[in-house]
Amino acid sequence: MTRRQVKNSNFDKIELNHNTNIMSENNFSRRKFLGGAAAIGAAGTLGFGPLTSCSSGGSQGGGNFDWQPREYNFPPLLDQVPDGPVLKAGVIGCGGRGSGAAVNFLEAGGATVTISALGDVFQDKIDSCREKIKTERDVDVPVENCFVGFDAFEKVIDSGVDIVILATPPKFRPEHFQAAVRAQKHVFMEKPIAVDPTGIRQVLAAAKMADSQGLKVVTGTQRRHQHKYISVYKELANNAIGKISTAEVYWNQNQLWYRDNNPDWSEMEWMIRDWVNWCWLSGDHIVEQHVHNIDVANWFFGKHPVKALGFGSRQRRKTGDQYDNFATRFELDDGRQILSMCRQINGCDNAVNEIFHGTKGKSFTDQGGTAVITDLDGNQLFAFEDHDTSPYVQEHKDLITCIRQNIPFNEAEATANSVMTAIMGRVSAYTGKDVTWDEMMNSDMKLGPQTYIMGSVGYIAEAKVPVPGSDE
Amino acid sequence: MFNRLISFLRKKILLVIFIGFIFGIVVSIYSYKIIEATSTPESCEMCHVHPQATDSWKLSVHYNTRVGIHIKCTDCHLPPKGEGYLKEKIKASARDFYGYVFKDSADFNWEAKSSLEQAQHHVFKASCVKCHANLFPLTLNEKGQDAHLYYTQHEEELRCINCHLNAGHYDPNALHAKNVEFGNAGVQNQEKYNEPAKVESLSNFTESIPGTTVSFEMKAIPGGSFKIGSPETEQMRETDEGPQKTININPFFMAEVEVTWDSYMAFYTATAAEGRSTDTEGSRKNLDVDAISGPTPPYGQPDQNWGLGQRPAITMSYHSAETYCLWLSKVTGKTYRLPTEAEWEYAARGGTETPYFFVGNPNDFKEKGFLGSLFGKSSDLINQYIIFEENSNLKTGTPDEVEANPFGLKNMLGNAAEYCSDWYSEDTYKNLNDGATNPTGPISGEEHVIRGGSFKSGVGQVRSAARDHTQSVAWLKTDPQIPKSIWWLSDCNYISFRVVCEFDEKTGKK
Repeated sequence: MTRRQVKNSNFDKIELNHNTNIMSENNFSRRKFLGGAAAIGAAGTLGFGPLTSCSSGGSQGGGNFDWQPREYNFPPLLDQVPDGPVLKAGVIGCGGRGSGAAVNFLEAGGATVTISALGDVFQDKIDSCREKIKTERDVDVPVENCFVGFDAFEKVIDSGVDIVILATPPKFRPEHFQAAVRAQKHVFMEKPIAVDPTGIRQVLAAAKMADSQGLKVVTGTQRRHQHKYISVYKELANNAIGKISTAEVYWNQNQLWYRDNNPDWSEMEWMIRDWVNWCWLSGDHIVEQHVHNIDVANWFFGKHPVKALGFGSRQRRKTGDQYDNFATRFELDDGRQILSMCRQINGCDNAVNEIFHGTKGKSFTDQGGTAVITDLDGNQLFAFEDHDTSPYVQEHKDLITCIRQNIPFNEAEATANSVMTAIMGRVSAYTGKDVTWDEMMNSDMKLGPQTYIMGSVGYIAEAKVPVPGSDE
Repeated sequence: MFNRLISFLRKKILLVIFIGFIFGIVVSIYSYKIIEATSTPESCEMCHVHPQATDSWKLSVHYNTRVGIHIKCTDCHLPPKGEGYLKEKIKASARDFYGYVFKDSADFNWEAKSSLEQAQHHVFKASCVKCHANLFPLTLNEKGQDAHLYYTQHEEELRCINCHLNAGHYDPNALHAKNVEFGNAGVQNQEKYNEPAKVESLSNFTESIPGTTVSFEMKAIPGGSFKIGSPETEQMRETDEGPQKTININPFFMAEVEVTWDSYMAFYTATAAEGRSTDTEGSRKNLDVDAISGPTPPYGQPDQNWGLGQRPAITMSYHSAETYCLWLSKVTGKTYRLPTEAEWEYAARGGTETPYFFVGNPNDFKEKGFLGSLFGKSSDLINQYIIFEENSNLKTGTPDEVEANPFGLKNMLGNAAEYCSDWYSEDTYKNLNDGATNPTGPISGEEHVIRGGSFKSGVGQVRSAARDHTQSVAWLKTDPQIPKSIWWLSDCNYISFRVVCEFDEKTGKK
């Protein structure tokens, strides 16, 4: 049990109605208590981790509530990071998100952290990132610690940093993550953390290696660091809506950005500058963006789906080889389902949120608005407004706190599973077929060119937008 | 008197408790010492007379460790303390003491005991994990990373020794890598055949593989009809062997023996290529006979270090066996293929309707107790014909160890199990019509029929009618590659096959 009590969080006060129940004489007779370490361990779990131990079976109202006693490692969620020696971070991938993450990191740690190295494949990205860090947070990154090229990541890792922030296009993430772990660096890496099963397995193995080294890993799934989402999670864990039967998860938004080709750019340069439109670099938008919502479903269900059937298409995307819409049904091993949609098309009505249907009610969450839990008749039971701290900053506070207080914290495996779920949905849409988790886990799919050179790689000439099914 | 003693003890209760306390401590210390003293390698060796195991242990990485720790017998061969250590220790010492007194350690089949199948009964996973708690150390390379990830995802089904069998006892022949040298030490300086055999009638012939030194005997199998399956009264019968149906089989040729390593290596040498990476299932069509690509180099030792030559080739996948037949057809200009299940059983019976093609019932040949061995039938008869668990030393044998069946075929029963081309179904015979000719089994299925039992089988499974099937998942369980090999099985060392040749216009049919 690694959960920490957090002083300034108001969620600890949630009524824990089965706590007394669990600790009663019936359940812990003397004989049982003497029965061995296992029983004592269980007592510890139940006693100290009330929020994660709702094992009441069918005894509570609402029928067969089945939230198993789960070990969920909540982030510390401190508003103020503990003091400590200055932590130096290096940013690998200095585009929009890398620069944003760097600033979030500096805001989270204040004077106790710094950015000491930058790496990217493009000099202009390094320059703009360096300038942003200077103007917004008044931190100077030494020029000699700015590295350009496909091997920049190694130089940043070796530059004497404590933490690396990985924010390149996700295709490169597994290799970078593995290198960072082997160099024993703490990691903040942006989701998605891979685009294909080969990459997922690399991340899973490196995640285990990170655990064995006591490294802390946060993965940019910021909803897991957002007070509002955690409140809803805790309510659901306390049987607010009974047993969850179905989830709906959506990310329907406008067209994302794109870059037209430029005669001065090589093939590789164009693809990387336009990376959110190329499947081998981004994993397509079901992986790159929608994984956020899919991750919430996996988080709340406490497991990942084992099967997907979906479809999708390309209607108005301007560049690249991706789709711009997907609709997928994911199935859990117990038959429960997650319905998923994502779209990046202008001029449509949008929705980015998650809905969980339970036997006693439902919950509604989205990143911007108010989270609401209602009963079956639509009466509001709970509502949660957002906390002051941005989740994009909070996730860095949590990383810094866990490093300074040596709290075990590693999100890589959970995020890898959510990304794999999204990949499974993508493959189903591309092929039109049922795709299973085992097939994905045993797949040798590896997207993109074999070697990375800033030149012509013969990818675009071969690239095709997948068309499922047949004319027969 | 007694009361006085009681009251004395009451008065001196503290003394009594103190003495008891000291006594308890002394007993604990000494029992701990005894347990420790009887757990040293030297004490193990007092009863375990197996100098080869001691030697191989001293050569292993667990003796001469990088960090200077000595790993003793009991560290691996008993569970960790607190996890059944004492119980297993008592069990093991009782068994070992019995063996020491009543048996001769030279009679034990040490080679079989160090095979994975038997080793799993005396090597405890919990003990491996107790020391090797971190499966992902920084020193682990990427292949190890993949393999250990695979392990963590299949922990229930896998043991450490699936891959690290020789970690505790060094085996100079064990190979834990891609075996690119496999088959390279071929026969030199022998005359090679230029032509395949010419066959003009339905009679036995010797096939020769052009460009190689390999030849093998083919037996002409006359056509006829027979009852497939076994009667309900047959001993050790399984339900999938019925109901019996009478069916017709056209004439064909069948190899006298299971495909030998010599023949298989001719195929491997001619078709294998190093470095292909596209061998995933479905990437190649069986019809591409002009450019047959054969197996990739195996991982480890496909022959289990039992030797090549005339021993049956084993551990190939069904796909490999089929590809072999395509290749053999191409180089000999005949039609070679795997037998159908009906052809196989027809050939195995050689006209007999009894459990075996020789006299006797399964119960006659079962391992017998003392009385049984005095009065029962002798096992000499079955030993003449079949290599099975009682006489095999748990490995395959060569064809000269057994006598042939009425059709002149050897090792149809026992030795290595053989692929048939039919899909397996429990009710194959139910759906079969009396009087059918050359039936080919169910139209579709998931596993193929295998027949004949193997060197691991008991008397019941080496009957002519006994049926079995492939196990696609289990037979590849520990293959760490993604995708898994389509050529070699990582977890089945008892499967082989036998070719049949069609009697058609290429072989003299008018």
